[in-house]
Amino acid sequence: MSDINIESVKNEIEAAIANVNSSAELEVFINKYLSRKGLLAELTGSIPSLPKEERGKFGQEVNVLKSKINIFVDEKRKTFLQTKTSGTALPNIDISMPGIAQNIGKLHPITQIINEINSIFIQMGFSIVEGPEIETEYNNFTGLNIPLEHPSREAFDTFYLKTEKLLLRSQTSPVQIRVMKERKPPLAIIAPGKVYRPDAVDASHLFMFHQIEGFVVDKNIKFSDLKGVLEVFLKGVFGDDIKMRFRPHFFPFTEPSAEVDISCIICKGKGCSVCGRKGWLEVLGSGMIHPNVFKNVGYSAKEYTGFAFGMGVERIAMLKYGIDDIRLFFQNDLRFLKQF
Amino acid sequence: MKITYNWLKEFVDIKLKPAQIADKLTMAGIEVKGIEEKNADYVFEIEITSNRPDWLSAVGLAREVAAITGQKIKKLPAISRQPSKKNKEKFDIVVEDMKDCPLYTAKIIRDVKVAESVDWLREKLELIGCRSINNIVDITNYAMFSYGEPLHAFDLDKIQGGKVVVRRARTGEKLITIDGVERTLDAGILVIADAFRPIAIAGVMGGKETEVTFNTKNILLEAAQFNQVMVRRSRQKLALQTDSSYRFERGIDFVTVRNTSQEAASLINRIAGGKCELEKASSSVALKNKTIEININSLADIIGIKISAVKIKSILTALGFKLKNKGKSGFFVEIPAYRADVSLEIDLVEEIARIYGFENIPVSLPKFVPQINKAGSSRLVPYIKEVLVGLGLNEAITYSLIDKNSLKGFYADEIKLLEILNPLSKDQELLRPTLMPSLLKAVAYNLNQKQEPVELFEIGNTYIALDNKSTLENPSLCIALCGTNSLLLENGAVKEKLGVFHLKGILETVFNNLGIKDFSFASPDETGKSNIFAGNQEKVGELFIIPDQILNVFEIKNKSAVIAEIDLSKIAARMDLKKRFLGLPLYPGVTRDISLQIKEDVLVQGILDLIKKQSGGLLEEVKVVDYYKGKQIPHGFKGVTVSCLYRSKERTLTEEEVNPLYSSACSALVESFGAKLR
Repeated sequence: MSDINIESVKNEIEAAIANVNSSAELEVFINKYLSRKGLLAELTGSIPSLPKEERGKFGQEVNVLKSKINIFVDEKRKTFLQTKTSGTALPNIDISMPGIAQNIGKLHPITQIINEINSIFIQMGFSIVEGPEIETEYNNFTGLNIPLEHPSREAFDTFYLKTEKLLLRSQTSPVQIRVMKERKPPLAIIAPGKVYRPDAVDASHLFMFHQIEGFVVDKNIKFSDLKGVLEVFLKGVFGDDIKMRFRPHFFPFTEPSAEVDISCIICKGKGCSVCGRKGWLEVLGSGMIHPNVFKNVGYSAKEYTGFAFGMGVERIAMLKYGIDDIRLFFQNDLRFLKQF
Repeated sequence: MKITYNWLKEFVDIKLKPAQIADKLTMAGIEVKGIEEKNADYVFEIEITSNRPDWLSAVGLAREVAAITGQKIKKLPAISRQPSKKNKEKFDIVVEDMKDCPLYTAKIIRDVKVAESVDWLREKLELIGCRSINNIVDITNYAMFSYGEPLHAFDLDKIQGGKVVVRRARTGEKLITIDGVERTLDAGILVIADAFRPIAIAGVMGGKETEVTFNTKNILLEAAQFNQVMVRRSRQKLALQTDSSYRFERGIDFVTVRNTSQEAASLINRIAGGKCELEKASSSVALKNKTIEININSLADIIGIKISAVKIKSILTALGFKLKNKGKSGFFVEIPAYRADVSLEIDLVEEIARIYGFENIPVSLPKFVPQINKAGSSRLVPYIKEVLVGLGLNEAITYSLIDKNSLKGFYADEIKLLEILNPLSKDQELLRPTLMPSLLKAVAYNLNQKQEPVELFEIGNTYIALDNKSTLENPSLCIALCGTNSLLLENGAVKEKLGVFHLKGILETVFNNLGIKDFSFASPDETGKSNIFAGNQEKVGELFIIPDQILNVFEIKNKSAVIAEIDLSKIAARMDLKKRFLGLPLYPGVTRDISLQIKEDVLVQGILDLIKKQSGGLLEEVKVVDYYKGKQIPHGFKGVTVSCLYRSKERTLTEEEVNPLYSSACSALVESFGAKLR
């Protein structure tokens, strides 16, 4: 085997190098000399058969040759690669053509707002409950301390079913009655859903809309807790820089009751058409759960206190997204739905 | 209601500017919605909550101003005197039912000079939008806006028979009210009558014939307390809301009745002359104010901050409550007559917190005990929505109320329909038993807006009657597809018409993602409906190729539409969202395609089932990869190519193992279906 002459191999390789002019030729070259069965491998393989004293020198020469070839191959590769990208081998594309349209669907903006609100409350430790839309007079009114024939009922004008004593809930508050009748405190509940009121339809009124009810019942729940929870919530939805105010109000099922305003998110409180020049936007109704409600569900008003709040989802969405007509939510125009 | 800044100043000193006092009132729960500068005064537009009839008067609002600003009420109504002098006047008051009218008082005032109002009175009323009539009527209105009790003045000489009777109207009785409208009455309406006929609708409006005119000489001044519910029903029946009915409905107390009447009588005397000759009342109930206890500590427990006894006392006293100490930690609080809304300790807590200022109550957070949500069906809806949105469908929300007509072709089970008793329009007459018509309407709307293709879904409730007492409310998924999807690909535009197989593909993806494997679709019936089954042939929904006559109704032209509805309560019971990892295959598989020519009526599902049966455990998957009808295929036949993937879990399969399986599948297809291999 020692008849291999390293000099003649060197010459042969140099000649071959001179003939490599394309990446295909380079591959042939690599195969012939560098591959597992190539010439260099053969040279290396022949080392053990050499006389001991020749082995070292021969090995060195083979290594030098090998590294030379490797450098050559790397350089050629780079060259060929450059030639390729700067060459005309690729198709001529007009990159300004639009990409192939990919469809993504959108959740309805109301669903998105409900999800956002739910997640803020879930982070605080609330759980989600949904109640039925067909309700009893008791859960919708009487249980909530709204007496029959009281003017306060007028604020909750209601659709009745022809089926006896049933109605479409005019608020999500009946979920309070259902949950409290079924469970014992501590409770921290969020209840989103559809509600119905026979209101004439215009840009800000509909006969169907969504509300989110929330309530907390436990020992030692205070009005100050209500303020704290709603602050976390409203800043989460409308941003850290809003101001809030709690205005005394009347709801039959809470006492003390408060309406909650935030500083107008359009004019930052200076007064504009959205806030009616007042600088404030009403977003929530809230209060401490009335002892009569606790009595109606069999809780001891001495042992437990709690707070409740409710809001219109469409209103929140309209403020947050700058939508000026509530009817758009149920028209389902794709140009509307795809914006959110 | 409206009141002016100067009007309030008659009752309380106000040092704050109108905008400032408006803001203070708002923050105490009397929402000032607007302020208008007018004739050197400021008109406040105020929203009064339904629990506070006492705020429907200047004196009531002034009391709040006094409490907020630390002032005292200037002028309190004089305490009513009982008629002192004996006289020969005879006039009877008959109240048929004390429940309808707990108190009726009348003053007979003779020799008044009815004239145009004096300027200050006319201007004052006009500022708050009340038209001036004459001095007598204007005084009754002024007294009402000042003190709260609606009064009515009758022309005494038009009252026949020397008495007034408070009674229910007789069915068919008629009365022309002062607005000139003839009203037909019934026993649900309370009236004031003379000996012969109704002369006023109690608490709502007086009669034309007995109204005070410029010819009137003698008047009967009525001040009464009518039953709140009666007044409410009367005005609802007559569709006649007035300043008077608004106040009676919310409640008037005995003291206010007497005081307002007294104030009006002395004003009449001052402005229009006339002498009060007789004062009569139907009742002289001795009034005893109720007393409630309040504990300082329970107040702190509810609002979250301790308020001093001194502060509590000053707030409640300014509002007109009388306090007596109850030990060191509480008070006995006597409730004034005009505060019928206060009957529990919590009502007093609210009063204190309101005047103390909600803004002065600190902010805290409650300790929450984490509650573990029951996993399960509550995840179903968000999960389906996620899948569908990922597939490019948009979520719609449509109205739950529909008109009955729109159900034609979609739903026929009339007995189960839930009708609305009081819809505002025909398109709210029914709770929908199916989402299909509503969603199709949204499709039609979008097509009309030149939006195409339309791919919508909705998840909402459907509603049916179970019997005449109970109802079923069920979550439902509806998906609608219509139109052509135009795609611009690299080699040019491609059009893809959306149809039944797009919809089926979407449903398959939904079912697969919910872990429901055993679902199937029945062949469409003659109406275009195809039942969807899961498990042991339980119907879970319907796929509907909408026939032309329905498309016409919805004004969808030259397009086809498909829609599907799935009962999610049935899906919830079957879904399995537990995820388990299956090991990846260790050995390569072998694929064999079978191309067949087969009779048109052989279902592809039958071919797949047969191959599965023939191939045993080594067949990993069999699927349709091509399908065609046309020139190369004889009429009545179709071409189908299926691809079989064989794989072993233990070794690399050899040709010798796969070939017999493949051949036996082929020969079974030939034998069973007369298929021709291609």
